[in-house]
Amino acid sequence: MADSQPGAVSPFARGPAPRPTVPTTTIRPASAPPTTPRPPAPASSGSRRVIFRGSGGSLFGIHVVNVLLILATFGIYYFWAKVRVRNYLWSQSEFESDRFAYHGTGRELLIGFVKAALFFFLPATLLNMLPELLGASPVVIIVTRMLVSIFAAIFIPIAIVGARRYRLSRTSWRGIRFSLRASTGEFARLWIRGWLLIPLTLGLYYPSFIVNQHRFLTSHSWFGSERFSFEGRGRDLLPAWFGAVVLFVPTLGLSWFWFAAKRQRYYAEHTRVAGARFRSTVTGAKLAWLTISTWVGLICTIGLAWPWLTVRRTRRTFEWLSLDGPLALDNITQQAQQVNATGEGLAGFFDADLGFT
Amino acid sequence: MRLDWDAAYLDGRTAARRRATVHITRTGLDVALIEGGTRFFWPFREIRQTQGTYAGEQVRLERGRDLPEALLIGDVDFLSAARAASPEASHLHDPARRRFRVGLTFGALVTAVALALGIYYVGIPAFAQVAAARVPVSWEESLGSAIVDHFAPTARRCEDPVRQARIDAIVTQLTAKVRPQPYTFRVTVVNSAIVNAVAAPGGNIILFRGLLERTDNAEELAGVLAHEIEHVLHRHVTRAIFQHASTGILMAALVGDVSGVVAYGLEGARTLGSLQMSRTAESEADRDGIRLLQEAGIDTAGMITFFEKLLARERSGGDIVPRYLRTHPTTTERIATLRALAAAGARPSGRLLPDDEWDGVKNLCGELPADARSPRR
Repeated sequence: MADSQPGAVSPFARGPAPRPTVPTTTIRPASAPPTTPRPPAPASSGSRRVIFRGSGGSLFGIHVVNVLLILATFGIYYFWAKVRVRNYLWSQSEFESDRFAYHGTGRELLIGFVKAALFFFLPATLLNMLPELLGASPVVIIVTRMLVSIFAAIFIPIAIVGARRYRLSRTSWRGIRFSLRASTGEFARLWIRGWLLIPLTLGLYYPSFIVNQHRFLTSHSWFGSERFSFEGRGRDLLPAWFGAVVLFVPTLGLSWFWFAAKRQRYYAEHTRVAGARFRSTVTGAKLAWLTISTWVGLICTIGLAWPWLTVRRTRRTFEWLSLDGPLALDNITQQAQQVNATGEGLAGFFDADLGFT
Repeated sequence: MRLDWDAAYLDGRTAARRRATVHITRTGLDVALIEGGTRFFWPFREIRQTQGTYAGEQVRLERGRDLPEALLIGDVDFLSAARAASPEASHLHDPARRRFRVGLTFGALVTAVALALGIYYVGIPAFAQVAAARVPVSWEESLGSAIVDHFAPTARRCEDPVRQARIDAIVTQLTAKVRPQPYTFRVTVVNSAIVNAVAAPGGNIILFRGLLERTDNAEELAGVLAHEIEHVLHRHVTRAIFQHASTGILMAALVGDVSGVVAYGLEGARTLGSLQMSRTAESEADRDGIRLLQEAGIDTAGMITFFEKLLARERSGGDIVPRYLRTHPTTTERIATLRALAAAGARPSGRLLPDDEWDGVKNLCGELPADARSPRR
């Protein structure tokens, strides 16, 4: 809540940055012409969308080569395969006639995976199995199981922040990198507090919890020197959430799509960047149809149709979202952050789906 | 060849997109920004191409390490022009080879399918066999006792030392002449109407009351036991566990990153696959089971008549579907194979037990209170 500072502020305004930042001035392309300070051009207004131009056929081609190389390298190519897919999806996403670019590498993902395995997966698995292998008493076994669960619960927020930090830092548009500048500890505290408050408030804290998470992740996201802002409040979603919960059983769970669509619209309308505001036209019916048809398609083809379904889902999702109002891009400068892929590797162990492959 | 191209320039420091013209020279690109007239030169050997290899994608050239500058050129013919103008530009993508690349991708598809099928039908079974053979018997035994505890909790076991001894005697007779083997066989009878028998790893055989009560003589049960003993000796269950795990890894590699929902679909495919694989195991257990009976001097007709009886029951749609047939895909063909195998051996004259004595054994669970007889799950 203290983080919901609207509008863009200087990157250093909030005290020390959580991660070492690379100041803009230190990175200067060798051949770049000397920049003369230009007067800011008038911000263009209107409604803008990300257009996804990818095709299922191309993605399938990438997938086929990936499968072959994964099989031939006993799985090691997996990380490079992931990069190739992301590269394609990012490159096919166009905003204001410029494509996004993905800058991650397979090597980074492999190192991230190895680190996450060493620091999280191996200790957790050993701790889980060791008491039983050593023939410890049932009490010891139960206590260590609980410790492992707590250990894992602490790693989930670390994984969420880490994965998002990594993905944003490896995404650029017009050569400007995105970034997440947030303290992992702060998010972990928010997360643990949320899971303690939800049972205490009989679940009524849940809308505030998800909005707080969203606010944290959004308002710490930057595009170059431009900060995203989010000014939503959990209580605004409380009635919709309550309705969805009450209707969950009678509607066979479909009310959840209605709530998810409402939430997406709410998130979009309360998010701003560079003077413009997001807007979403998603409805519960659209979301339900897209999600269910994607699931059915995947299950019926045992996953083989995923290139086409991913393209379809991405295209629809982008169609629903627009950025309205004057968009002032000219004063945005590069402010890249140094980030490693450990959080990304961790997220892999939790199967945390953060959207976009 | 055209040497001048329209482009957009991103300086890697601001979000401004600037119009530029690019002139191709023998060693690199001469870039001139339209606004301000700044000119600079990019040598080919410092240029990386990061976009523009797929249909409909603009060409993106980058220069610089961490936060590169970029040139965007809408027309892919630029690449052909640059490649033609300089040998130093040969690392750029060649649009003329797109058809070739599509062909290569198709080749990759065929190879990947062949490789996956090879791994599935040859690699995984071979690996599972080798791996299962190396699992220590003590591991199999502890796994087996866990399975027995699951199917036959102590409260549901039918325990009668005298009649149990008759069944154990059949097992002893069957395994007496078997090649050296490390297992200690134990038969556990479960008070459940299910018509089934399960061979757990490590020598534990679970016999459900429903199956036992359907046997008319000792030879019929001996047939079932011979079949189950062969499962244990061939380590079929241990092998299936390895197969199941490796198939999971193979499928994850095939469908990539789509987790969650697809897992359900995959689980179905995996189950179908393991049924297919278990069919081979069943014929193996049939074939060697018959041989086991013959070596032990037990009439093989019992095994065949019992399977026929279950088959007939399945066809008539009895109240309890014999699960033994569902997990053991018995067909008329299978019975025919058994007949052929049985005919090859000599038929012994002696009987294991007189039929009236067998009636007592097969009702091992008979004197238990009615409520304990209802199958609980």
